[in-house]
Amino acid sequence: MAAVNFVRSAFNGLLRKSTTYNSATICRLSTVALQQKIPIKSIASAYNFEHTSNVVLNQRQYATGPVHKITESEIQDRVLKVCKAYDKLVSVQLSLDSHFMTDLGLDSLDHVEIIMAMEDEFGFEIPDGDAERLVRPRDIVQYIADKEDIYD
Amino acid sequence: MAGREAVKAGCKIARPVLSVDHCQAHRRVMGLYRAYFRYIPYLLKHMDIPKNPRDCKMKLREYFYQNAYVTDLRVIDILVIKGFMNLKEITHQWQQKGHVMAHWHPTREPKPCDFIGKFLANED
Repeated sequence: MAAVNFVRSAFNGLLRKSTTYNSATICRLSTVALQQKIPIKSIASAYNFEHTSNVVLNQRQYATGPVHKITESEIQDRVLKVCKAYDKLVSVQLSLDSHFMTDLGLDSLDHVEIIMAMEDEFGFEIPDGDAERLVRPRDIVQYIADKEDIYD
Repeated sequence: MAGREAVKAGCKIARPVLSVDHCQAHRRVMGLYRAYFRYIPYLLKHMDIPKNPRDCKMKLREYFYQNAYVTDLRVIDILVIKGFMNLKEITHQWQQKGHVMAHWHPTREPKPCDFIGKFLANED
């Protein structure tokens, strides 16, 4: 409503002789508070929100919620899940320390396919130089933990 | 004179095409495999061929296994270059579905292996 009035007044100014237009009647709570030097916390408490203690007023929050920090056990679960989903490793007993080539009998093309499946799962590109060194699921977990900066 | 020719023959080291050692050549081959692997779903989307992703991946593997015995670096490089050229032709749609389907030999009749088949085809 206020925006419509503002636009209308602006256009009136353009069409008539003067170039001036009415100053905006829209003002945000923060600007009002800044002019009147009222702390925002008291305004919030005036509105009596129940979750005031949880709301961090200086930090922007998005619809997805707080940033979820991945844990190493979650990475291990996901890596093993991807390895088990690979068709040559479906009914093979798999541990974190099993070597792809020597223990599980995969060849280099299978290894590349597994690395590509990991790329799809975790959403980032693994270059060829690094992919050559990732020969066990534990290496992959360590590499992803390094990439995601987890220091457990 | 003979010494000079012997020196010339001795100094004939083949100039590398792209890769200097096997490690580099291996990486190029894996890069080619990845490029084709990632394009397979789009290949099936753009070219309306009656194949599923598993068939395409098996055919890709087949082609890579066909050339698995090669050890000469220059030959590996040339094969990788030809592979990328073929991928470029497919991605730009300069090859069409007929060219892609030809890899599965759709019009080839399988030769009879069993007795009845051979008898009916009048083969020894």
